[in-house]
Amino acid sequence: MAAVNTTGPAPYIYACTRMKVRKATLIPREEYMRMLNMELPGITRIIEETHYKAEIDELASSFSGIDLVEIALSWNLAKEYQKIIELVPGHLKGFTRSYLLRWDIQNVLTILRGKSQDIPQGRIREITIPAGSLDKNALDRLIAEDSADRIVEALKAHVLYPVFEREMAGAVESGSFAHMENELFKAYYTEIVRAAKGGVKGGHAFLQYIRLDIDTRNLMTLFRVKGSLESDELREMMIAGGTFSVEELVRLAGSESSDEIIETIRNRLNLDSFTEVLETFREEKSVHKIEIALTKAKLDQLDKLAKRYQFSVCPILLYLELKQYEVSNLRALARGKESKLEPESIGACMVV
Amino acid sequence: MALKDVKPTRSELINLKKRIKLSERGYNILKMKRDGLILEFFKVLEEAKKSKSELNDNYEKALKTIAVANTVEGAIRVKAAAMAVKENPQITLNQKNIMGVVVPEIESSAVKKDIVQRGYGVLGSSAVVDETAEAFEELVDSIIRAAEIETTMKRLLDEIESTKRRVNALEFKVIPELSEARDFIKMRLDEMERDELVRLKKIRAKAQAK
Repeated sequence: MAAVNTTGPAPYIYACTRMKVRKATLIPREEYMRMLNMELPGITRIIEETHYKAEIDELASSFSGIDLVEIALSWNLAKEYQKIIELVPGHLKGFTRSYLLRWDIQNVLTILRGKSQDIPQGRIREITIPAGSLDKNALDRLIAEDSADRIVEALKAHVLYPVFEREMAGAVESGSFAHMENELFKAYYTEIVRAAKGGVKGGHAFLQYIRLDIDTRNLMTLFRVKGSLESDELREMMIAGGTFSVEELVRLAGSESSDEIIETIRNRLNLDSFTEVLETFREEKSVHKIEIALTKAKLDQLDKLAKRYQFSVCPILLYLELKQYEVSNLRALARGKESKLEPESIGACMVV
Repeated sequence: MALKDVKPTRSELINLKKRIKLSERGYNILKMKRDGLILEFFKVLEEAKKSKSELNDNYEKALKTIAVANTVEGAIRVKAAAMAVKENPQITLNQKNIMGVVVPEIESSAVKKDIVQRGYGVLGSSAVVDETAEAFEELVDSIIRAAEIETTMKRLLDEIESTKRRVNALEFKVIPELSEARDFIKMRLDEMERDELVRLKKIRAKAQAK
């Protein structure tokens, strides 16, 4: 039996190849187009027959109908992410863990908000997705805590604990976790930039992805709040570390001329993938459509990064993001059909 | 008023005449009030039609946006975003007077909020959540407006109904009965006068015969 090589580049090549294989098993565009013309039972049957069967069977006793489909999809995503963390070797594991911290923010905030509104524990549990560093048991422990302060105390070992601790008093006083949420996401990006710049090999590729992600997030915020907020409020929502400085973004958000915004973004980003986004913006389509176009552009750009840095964190991040959008596309199909939306409207909500 | 209970006296006749005059005046005033209320009602009815159709449109729009939000973000994230809203809309109930009818005047605050006031973070949510929140804020706003207009309309209708009952009671019951009693007393008094005349004539005839 040949010895398994666990040193050198082999584990990285192996992990990235497995990501490519997993990526190939994701639902292709043509299948989504076919599913758009199917009825809800047909779509549910396809979901059951793919990778999601185990979760559907597991949850069938507790949930039913469309809620079962949605929760099973989310659980599958969480399990898949945990498997990927186990699978990836060395530095890639650290990068992947850092990347997945965003799920912790979402879960902890959901728990804090649920607790502050006296939502029953069972309902809070239903809407958490343990895809980050806090697994199901950790989230259950947080849900069982009886106050927001104790939840934050229980997060002492978490990398974002200083932000939770700093922002908690203000959030409790104002009754709103919005500022805390924005600060957590900014701290998240600071943390992953720190991880990428930590001198670890492969950090450069990770940094390129982070910059792309920050640019996409900032542009989404820019198009979303353009002309409706004061400079100070805008400044609070922009993330530093991307192609554009925070001041540039604030100035662009205050600009009356769409042409100026389009030209500035085109000149600075200089990425073909974003051309369609700028055209969507020029046509004054809804912010939601611009967001979908931005997400598609980001995935397209990430795909190019994954091809350029074949044995880096990029193929892993590409798979994680594509998996997330597969789940969101299937959910969109199921929810859209349930709400009797037109196939075109459902298609417009999907990232394919 | 049963005729057998009526005392055929002059003072009763005077009383009855006063009551008839008062009833007729009341009848005219109530009739004018009824007509005025009906005019007001038709004005409110127009507003109610508008607010009802606005409410229906906003309801349809809210349902559509939440369907899109559930489609894009999933019910899980939409529920999580909904939990972020801490501040409930405040409603102040005042009163105003339309032709003596007290109707509510509802003032609302904290219904429409901007993206910062809604309680969810911009960096952790998407534009469909904004669109849904906005649609539901508009729906709540139109529910409050419709509640004010529909309560006004209901109170006006109740008042029109009771005024109409009073007008009808005066027109078809009180005034006819009083008039009947008045005529009865008049007739009885005339009869009594004729009786007296005949009696006097007979006494005079007897006296002359003696």
